[in-house]
Amino acid sequence: MKFSYSWLCDHLDTKLSPPEIAETLTNIGLELESLTDYSSYAQFVVATIVDFKKHPNADRLNICTVENGEKTFQVICGAPNVKKGMKGIFAADGMYIPGTDITLKKGKIRGEVSEGMLLSERELNLSDNHEGIIEVQGNLPNGTDAVTALDLNDPIFEIGVTPNRGDCLSVRGIARDLSAKGIGTLKPINIKKPTSEEFESPITWSIHNDGNSCSFVVSRYFKDIKNSISPEWLQKKLLSIGLRPINALVDITNFITMDLGRPLHVFDANKIGNKLNMRLSNDREKLLALDNKEYSLNDTTTVIADNKNPLAIAGIIGGNDSGCTLETKNVFLEVAVFKPSMVAKTGRKLGINSDARYRFERGLDLEIVNDGLDYATKLINEICGGSFSKKVHAGKLDLNKNIISYKFDFFEKIIGIELSEKDQIKILNNLLFETKENKDGTCNVTIPSWRNDIKKNIDLIEEIIRIHGYDKIKTNYPTSSSNEQKKILNSLINKKYKVIKKLKKSLISNNFDEIITFSFQSLQAHELLSGDPSLKISNSISEDHAFMRSSMLFNHLESLENNRKKGLNKLSVFEIGPVYNNSKLQENILFALTSNNKNQNKYFEEDNLDYYFLTKIISKILSSVNFDIKQFNITRSSSNIFHPGQSADLHMGKNLIVRYGKIHPLILENFPKLSNTYGIEFYFENLPLDSMFRRNKNSKNESNFQHSEKDFSFIFDKDQNLYEVYRFVLGIDKKLIQKLEFFDEYLSSEIGFDKKSIAFKVTIQSLEKTLEEKDLEQIHQNIIDKVSNKFDAKIRS
Amino acid sequence: MDINQVLKDASKEIGLANSQADIQNLKVSYLGKKGKITELLKSLKDLSLEEKKTIGAQINSLRDSVDSLIKGKLLKIKKDEINSKLLNESIDISFPPPSSIDAKVHPISKTFDEVISIFGSMGYAVAEGPDIETDFYNFSALNIPEDHPAREMQDTFYIEDKDEENKPFVLRTHTSPVQIRTMLSQEPPIKIIAPGRTYRCDSDATHSPMFHQVEGLFISENANMSDLKGTLIEFCKQFFEVQDLKVRFRPSYFPFTEPSAEMDIAYHVKNNSLHIGEGDKWLEILGCGMVNPVVLENCKIDNSIYQGFAFGMGLDRITMLKHGLTDIRSFFNANLNWINQNGFGLGDY
Repeated sequence: MKFSYSWLCDHLDTKLSPPEIAETLTNIGLELESLTDYSSYAQFVVATIVDFKKHPNADRLNICTVENGEKTFQVICGAPNVKKGMKGIFAADGMYIPGTDITLKKGKIRGEVSEGMLLSERELNLSDNHEGIIEVQGNLPNGTDAVTALDLNDPIFEIGVTPNRGDCLSVRGIARDLSAKGIGTLKPINIKKPTSEEFESPITWSIHNDGNSCSFVVSRYFKDIKNSISPEWLQKKLLSIGLRPINALVDITNFITMDLGRPLHVFDANKIGNKLNMRLSNDREKLLALDNKEYSLNDTTTVIADNKNPLAIAGIIGGNDSGCTLETKNVFLEVAVFKPSMVAKTGRKLGINSDARYRFERGLDLEIVNDGLDYATKLINEICGGSFSKKVHAGKLDLNKNIISYKFDFFEKIIGIELSEKDQIKILNNLLFETKENKDGTCNVTIPSWRNDIKKNIDLIEEIIRIHGYDKIKTNYPTSSSNEQKKILNSLINKKYKVIKKLKKSLISNNFDEIITFSFQSLQAHELLSGDPSLKISNSISEDHAFMRSSMLFNHLESLENNRKKGLNKLSVFEIGPVYNNSKLQENILFALTSNNKNQNKYFEEDNLDYYFLTKIISKILSSVNFDIKQFNITRSSSNIFHPGQSADLHMGKNLIVRYGKIHPLILENFPKLSNTYGIEFYFENLPLDSMFRRNKNSKNESNFQHSEKDFSFIFDKDQNLYEVYRFVLGIDKKLIQKLEFFDEYLSSEIGFDKKSIAFKVTIQSLEKTLEEKDLEQIHQNIIDKVSNKFDAKIRS
Repeated sequence: MDINQVLKDASKEIGLANSQADIQNLKVSYLGKKGKITELLKSLKDLSLEEKKTIGAQINSLRDSVDSLIKGKLLKIKKDEINSKLLNESIDISFPPPSSIDAKVHPISKTFDEVISIFGSMGYAVAEGPDIETDFYNFSALNIPEDHPAREMQDTFYIEDKDEENKPFVLRTHTSPVQIRTMLSQEPPIKIIAPGRTYRCDSDATHSPMFHQVEGLFISENANMSDLKGTLIEFCKQFFEVQDLKVRFRPSYFPFTEPSAEMDIAYHVKNNSLHIGEGDKWLEILGCGMVNPVVLENCKIDNSIYQGFAFGMGLDRITMLKHGLTDIRSFFNANLNWINQNGFGLGDY
């Protein structure tokens, strides 16, 4: 909402300066967005173009000779409206141009000296107009400052009005709120009831009983008027807040909308039928609106119609065909009450943001419906002459006021500071809320007609503290109880965040950088990954973000591709975040992706990136949350994002815990910069949280007795799962077999192509004694027998 | 033979020796079976008992001295030989490693950590909820009815799939639905924060279609607005690491709180960088307020007994302010150069 200082002073008698008013506005919840004070524009002055000629080296440019009253300057200017004798606004070298954020420097433009600039409206931040330079009207002498010349004496406020404060969408409403804070007196408005009503309106109203949004409408008919350009005072007011004057009739309605917050509409009475009604539309009707767009209506749209056509969309926008022009002779003025939620719904559906809609959907002051009509009547009559009819109306205006029973002690309970009953009442009265005290610590508060947002005790508390001042609320720091700390200690989600931190530390220790990518993925990715169709976003911002992601794979591939394009070699990234199975189920997972890092440094070779390297990384990550990779069931992964022969799934029971391996070459085809790329999906939420959360420590007691190592070599079936062998061997004698390390695999026709020879080292140690040779031999033999038997394996000598 | 002469000769000869073989030879010629000192010892048998005692002692001392001279020299020669061999194994110690920087966590991770820890010390446990929400949790339970202008305060992403009320699912526009989920599932007193991803269809230097928020909620019999003010000021002091923090609370509007406030912190710009805590300019930092009794009622909490406050702030925003970052889009475009410059390594995380 924009308004000028002088406009505010039409309603408020105040001694405060514009900056002081600005601060007060913010303090009472009408947040100042900007205060534009043009006083610095006094440095720019009126200057005359005494002569100009074409620039020799540029078709569009002119070399102008400009006089500012003291001196003559040469100015290169590209404006199409340059004329000899024309007066413009001149900025000399060294001056700051606010619209372009540039300080002028003397220089040459295409070889010709330019000693300053003639300014456009945009360069002065006065409007978006940049089609030509400003032409100063009238006969002002050269050297007159721009503030005087362009009438910029009036500072402009712009405030943000929250959706609950429809009452402050008018200069009057803002003045009223400021006066409640005590910084001035609200001036009375004297809208004289017009007395010269002469005739009955030839146009009449009805409101259909079809559930449309109108409850009351009132009008007057104006005969033999002369529409024209608005008088200067009216044009100036509208221009000051960025509204373009159109003609007197339209300008008057716009002025009253801004001044009183009361939208109204003028029809050219010769262009409409004589029986108007408020009714719902249907899907066969269309309306060409004042914004020159055609809108398709439907059966939830309330329209103002004559017996043939819809003329306007109620509370939102008028129709083009029934609008007033300079030729208009007879006018029908309409002021109505519409249901806010229906206006909001229609406005949103049709995508129309008008000043009227903005006010109607926030709820309007019912008491100024007739005032608005009378005010407009007075202005139309003054400016356009003619005569006007008696009022004609339909429906009922419900002027009953809301009364709230308010408990004074509620204030301290909510706000935490004391404020006497007297002070509370004073604030309410300043806000023009009427109060009647009862003896039981309550009072009856009558809510003024413009505050339809006030319905409950809590609303009144907000009003009182808002005016009293949020700065008066004391600062109390509530300390934490031991009970709360216990809750946090036991909170599973708090534990989860600690686990996530452990995982992140482990990942960065293994040289993976953390990235955060959008929770979206493209249609192409969604199809490739067979994502659930329920994840489609209806109003996505781009094709690339059309779905909620079912995997982070493509986001990360894109990241690696882009980083490689920038010449980065180290390409290992991870993210812990959501992936979505369907619209009702999301999982937090850890995703990591790493791509070959070609490093030619002779002495500092990197580990070779292959499946086994990745296995080692996963083993370390799992170990950071107290799990041993060999505890899991490992199977080949069936996921189509991976190389079918170089990828694995790790399960615990039925739960998938990790899926990892080489990215399928068909997927990598889309990322030309990437080769040899490996991915990890870690479903850490499927592991028991408490085990992961525990501090990582080895609970085994250390033995002081001698240990013994023995190498074994077995021939297994080629597809023998060695994780099973590992677990089996350790289980043969849990007390004595301390460790098992695989170290070699041998494949050859000698042993058969369906076989593999596997070598491992077993560490044997007792907690109780030094084992004797015969004990050891017995264990060795036991291992040989059991492994051979269990896995149909042969010991190699 | 003069004992002193023998020692002199031995010292001289050992001093001149420069190989292990030389030393071996000297050892034989002095201490061997027919060595000079051995011979001297043998000659003792011809002396009187008295002489045996004094001269014997002298010869023994001579033998010890020579022996230790030989051992010392031997050790030195060995060391020299090994060292000259090791010098041949010299490598180019100046060959530089490939340029590498430790991997980093995203600055948001650090903020999550700090926020959870600061509020944790104040007694707030972490709560969470889904990103894909129903209309009920994201809007209507929070007192944002359909066709209310407040819905337009936030540009909502909709999912084509519909919920049980036949309304399209939404991407949560704020973390506030976690308030509702928590109040519906827990009995007061409730003291939680809920950090997480949030979404609005908006994109420029200060808006991203995805961003992070943290929600706070404290419901008890008497949590009031002064407590709210104190809590948030304390948080900002700890988070921004400033002792004297100039703040401003001003009235605002959120459908789910009443009275509502926005909190600004003062700042000034010096040498092109932002200094938080003092100054005559204000930065909007968060929205907050007393939980609207209607919301408590929607969550089946008796609002004649319980009251409380809620707050919400942008985690990306406070991260940007704390670390002097300017473009929120860089948070999510996975540029590793940016992560390396702005992220945190093991030592800082």
